[in-house]
Amino acid sequence: MNKVNNNVLLEVKNLKKYFPVRKGFFGGETQYVKAVDDITFHINKGETFGLVGESGCGKSTTGRTIIRLYDVTDGEVIFDGAELGKMRESELKPFRKRIQMIFQDPYASLNTRMTVGDIIGEPIDIHNLATGKKRQEIIYDLLERVGLNKEHANRYPHEFSGGQRQRIGIARALAVEPDFIICDEPISALDVSIQAQVVNMLEDLQKEMGLTYLFIAHDLSMVKHISDRIGVMYLGKMAEIATSDELYTKPLHPYTQALLSAIPIPDPEVTRAKQREVLEGDVPSPLNPPSGCRFRTRCKYAMAKCAEVEPKLKDVGGGHMVACHLMDK
Amino acid sequence: MAEKLLDVKNLKTSFYTHVGEVQAVRGVSFSLNKGEALGIVGESGSGKSVTSMSIMKLLQFPGKIKDGEILFKGEDLVKKSEKHMMSIRGNEIAMIFQDPMTSLNPVYTVGDQIMEAIIRHQGLSKQKAKKKAIEMLKLVGIPSPEKRVDNYPHEFSGGMRQRAMIAIALSCQPDLLIADEPTTALDVTIQAQILELMKDLKEKINTSIILITHDLGVVADVCSRIIVMYGGLVMEEGTAEEIFYDPKHPYTMGLLKSIPRLDLGQKKRLVPIEGSPPDLLKPPKGCPFAARCPYAMRICVEERPPYFYVNEGHRSMCWLLHEDAPDVKVETGVKRGIA
Repeated sequence: MNKVNNNVLLEVKNLKKYFPVRKGFFGGETQYVKAVDDITFHINKGETFGLVGESGCGKSTTGRTIIRLYDVTDGEVIFDGAELGKMRESELKPFRKRIQMIFQDPYASLNTRMTVGDIIGEPIDIHNLATGKKRQEIIYDLLERVGLNKEHANRYPHEFSGGQRQRIGIARALAVEPDFIICDEPISALDVSIQAQVVNMLEDLQKEMGLTYLFIAHDLSMVKHISDRIGVMYLGKMAEIATSDELYTKPLHPYTQALLSAIPIPDPEVTRAKQREVLEGDVPSPLNPPSGCRFRTRCKYAMAKCAEVEPKLKDVGGGHMVACHLMDK
Repeated sequence: MAEKLLDVKNLKTSFYTHVGEVQAVRGVSFSLNKGEALGIVGESGSGKSVTSMSIMKLLQFPGKIKDGEILFKGEDLVKKSEKHMMSIRGNEIAMIFQDPMTSLNPVYTVGDQIMEAIIRHQGLSKQKAKKKAIEMLKLVGIPSPEKRVDNYPHEFSGGMRQRAMIAIALSCQPDLLIADEPTTALDVTIQAQILELMKDLKEKINTSIILITHDLGVVADVCSRIIVMYGGLVMEEGTAEEIFYDPKHPYTMGLLKSIPRLDLGQKKRLVPIEGSPPDLLKPPKGCPFAARCPYAMRICVEERPPYFYVNEGHRSMCWLLHEDAPDVKVETGVKRGIA
């Protein structure tokens, strides 16, 4: 992974994001929620990298830190050769154009007082890409691209359904012709029959425009469907990274195995025959994570070593990376 | 013949809003036998939650049951007074809601909330009720229940709160448990815990379950019979096997094709259902799914289809099953035993 690879668009190295939590009335002692704690991965040009994990595992924080909605606590975010992590806002602006984001909640992420045309036009104005008639044409073109039509430009967000709003959010992200889009749970708020519409559209746009996606979601079936490679996170750490087929056919980390086995399959005979491995207990608090391997408190294979030494993410062949002491044998 | 516990007949529920009557449930009929687990699937706005709220008679203003009967153990709940309903709710019919964060009272301990139902319906003393509450917490798998019984909801995690909800619901051994999206707000590993618990308790207490969800995987796992709802109507009803392997309604087929399968190797493009659900302020005259249906015919728009019975338990509201319907090549559901 440290080899020089021209194909890599984004490289995240030892990224950390801690949020301070003040304890005590006078704010003496400060504790940190280690939302993202030393994770490393890369995303190739034109691929879709899926990031999965349960709530609180740090997947959304990772996305938001990459796009610098949060400041980086430590580590590097290298986008197309440039280190974004320590840049000032003015230096970041050209990169803001190249990296865009689609949010989870299509109800909260659109300004209710702006027309759809203005919502999509705003990034065009900010980056001075076009004005007047040309701007109008770009907006119309984008609306058609996401399956809406020209007439929608003068309407307000409340006139649209959830699926249509998500399309507007996607059109806004595309307005500045980005290279890289972070999709933070883009379909979890949508109905089943609408999810497929949006996912197909994201796939088509990727082909047409050569986009690279970071797809963050907790729905493993959908992530497997859309991603080329997948990273599994647990409590701020990366547990496993593999191609999507390999992750599902040959999961190596006990957490990935449990996660996969927990998903009910929409097929009565298959799902009832499936030996389900039920994880005991809950995810520990990120304020006070377990020592060593963070998964050890719920892991059925946990050994003495797991409490003492933190497992490093290691390549076990063909880019399949696992952070687990079981791999040492 | 198994004993019928619940028989819903032609239920119609509407919300009388200032813009007009929203016909959320437009004539739903189904029945449930003792000890059976029935799944109701559908998208938001299909009327599945309103159906369950109607059964519990927990509809909030401006919702009203317009027509129909809800026969529970042979008695019509629609005609029952609120006072009578209070003796049934939590005692004979219990409910688990989607969001365990908001459905527990934050100012009472978990134990108090379990005891409330027990004291009210079974008339036990406080000491005995507390003992029972601890027993219930133990049953639903809460570790060290003797201590946990005095905790407040905020001291519980999401999964534990849902377990506590189940403990409350089952504390009076109800005949019927209605679970409305019980695992939607939970993570998958916690969802697996709760589903296993529900299946296990169903065996132990022999409660009938109505499980309402949008997740086809969840119903496939838990339910023996499934109702598919759309636009305030039951589109199709059948056993889990019939619904998944031999669906007769294009909406059911569409749903099955639009979800990715985790266990299958090949990456096929998803087949979405184009368009969006109907507006129930002005429900369509014909089949509610006609506007999105790839097989729609003229009659589908003009007249609502009756139920066509494939066999005694498998029915579908679709004109395609009419004997005069053209013989279209209809794609079937999940192929059996692919995995």
